[in-house]
Amino acid sequence: MINFEEELKKFHPSLEVEDAEESIYHQDLTDLADMLIKKIIGTEQEKTPRVEKE
Amino acid sequence: MFCYNCGCRLSEHDFCTACGADVSLYKKVIHVSNMYYNEGLEKAGVRDLTGAVTSLRQSLKFNKNNTRARNLLGLVYFELGESVSALQEWVISKNIRPKKNIAGEYIDKVQSNAGRLESINQTIRKYNRALALCHQDSRDLAVIQLKKVLSMNPRFVRAHQLLALLYMERQDWERAERELRKCREIDRNNHQTLSYLKEVEQMLVPDEGMKQAVRRRKEESVRYQSDNEIIIQPLNVKEPRGGGISSFFNIIIGLVIGLAAMYFLGVRAAEANVRNEEQQVIIRISQESDVKTARIQELESQAADREKTLQELQTQLEDYIGVDGTLQNTEVLLHAIAAYMETGDTAAAAAELESMSQRVNPEGMTEGFRRLYEAARGVILPEVADTYLQEGNRLFNARNYADAAVAFEQAVAYDASNVESIYQLAQSYRIIGENEKAVQAYDKVLELFPDTWQADKAQSYKAQLSGN
Repeated sequence: MINFEEELKKFHPSLEVEDAEESIYHQDLTDLADMLIKKIIGTEQEKTPRVEKE
Repeated sequence: MFCYNCGCRLSEHDFCTACGADVSLYKKVIHVSNMYYNEGLEKAGVRDLTGAVTSLRQSLKFNKNNTRARNLLGLVYFELGESVSALQEWVISKNIRPKKNIAGEYIDKVQSNAGRLESINQTIRKYNRALALCHQDSRDLAVIQLKKVLSMNPRFVRAHQLLALLYMERQDWERAERELRKCREIDRNNHQTLSYLKEVEQMLVPDEGMKQAVRRRKEESVRYQSDNEIIIQPLNVKEPRGGGISSFFNIIIGLVIGLAAMYFLGVRAAEANVRNEEQQVIIRISQESDVKTARIQELESQAADREKTLQELQTQLEDYIGVDGTLQNTEVLLHAIAAYMETGDTAAAAAELESMSQRVNPEGMTEGFRRLYEAARGVILPEVADTYLQEGNRLFNARNYADAAVAFEQAVAYDASNVESIYQLAQSYRIIGENEKAVQAYDKVLELFPDTWQADKAQSYKAQLSGN
């Protein structure tokens, strides 16, 4: 049996056109490719031997 | 596919041929993203829009720059009635790839039509208001709002679902089912829709057998929809058969009824039309009459104003040229002056001037008249006064004091600035025994000419009279 009140909680207000721009700016667009590239670059930097200054 | 390190196009090798960077994992990530995109495309093709959204979002989690996945996600959102989410995806896609991107066309199509954009916004606002009304337990109002939303955007799945939920709450299972079936036509695999539909179908189970029969009949019969009502034309109902005579009578009766109906509907309608037209003519004539009446009243008012102005002008003209008008008085004055200059008859001229002074107020006349009048009086009246003074003196010397007093009175009347006239008048009054008048005349001498010998004499005579 469906509970009306519980089901109503699943519905959220829609974003209005005026708020779309702000929402785009605050969207986190980080993807797996970004994280992978960051990881690869970090690993390569660690592998590179440090040259101590005399 | 391009190298993440140097941007060079990648080959089939697991390293970049330009910079030597290891791209094996990077390639796998991009492949997974493309795989999810393909999956989303397939799902969208069979109208599993919820599934398509899930796959496409997954694709973008692996590669945010997958513009094809993002554009398709926007299209799927648009199909679900989520126009703002669609616009968001297209705008991001356009920013990632500004050229040769179909997202630009989608955005232009939506934004070029201001009415459509406003309609989208209105739909969203009404949906949000309906949702707020649900939370405030104003569910009837929410239903009305949602119906408006769906009339503006019939593909708004969430609105259909919310409306179905409200119908379910009212236990209006038929309507709920109708809304949910519309949802399923748009998005076939939305689990929320399916769970609601399952609930609704369970509620409709008790008369499932009858429902099946009805459904079969529905499928066989001719159906069409008018607004929210489905009209079913029955096919399996057989008309009872009768004989040929009964059919004939039926036709006759039908004709009679038809004629009667035509009379009542057609003729009455024509009569009503004629009455309506007559009414319109009467209204038009009445309006024209009102306009003309108003015009007549306006003209009458103007005529009354002009009549009043004319009367004022006539009054002014009368004042100017009438018996006692300015023109007439000027004429009389001129005649009097002319007569004086021709004959030297100061008495007649003085009499005319005195008569005029009783009739005319010089202050109300023209400046020219006033100056001429004053100048004439200044010349003529002293001469007349002098004549009366000489006559008075002659009578006084002849011991005719009563007549002398009359002459001196005239002399004072024409020229009150002559001390001799006033003094002689006082003397005459004193001698004939008019003591009171004599004292008044002496007082005038004392008041107006205090430094003259007549004043000294007047003082002593007054003292004598006061002593008596």
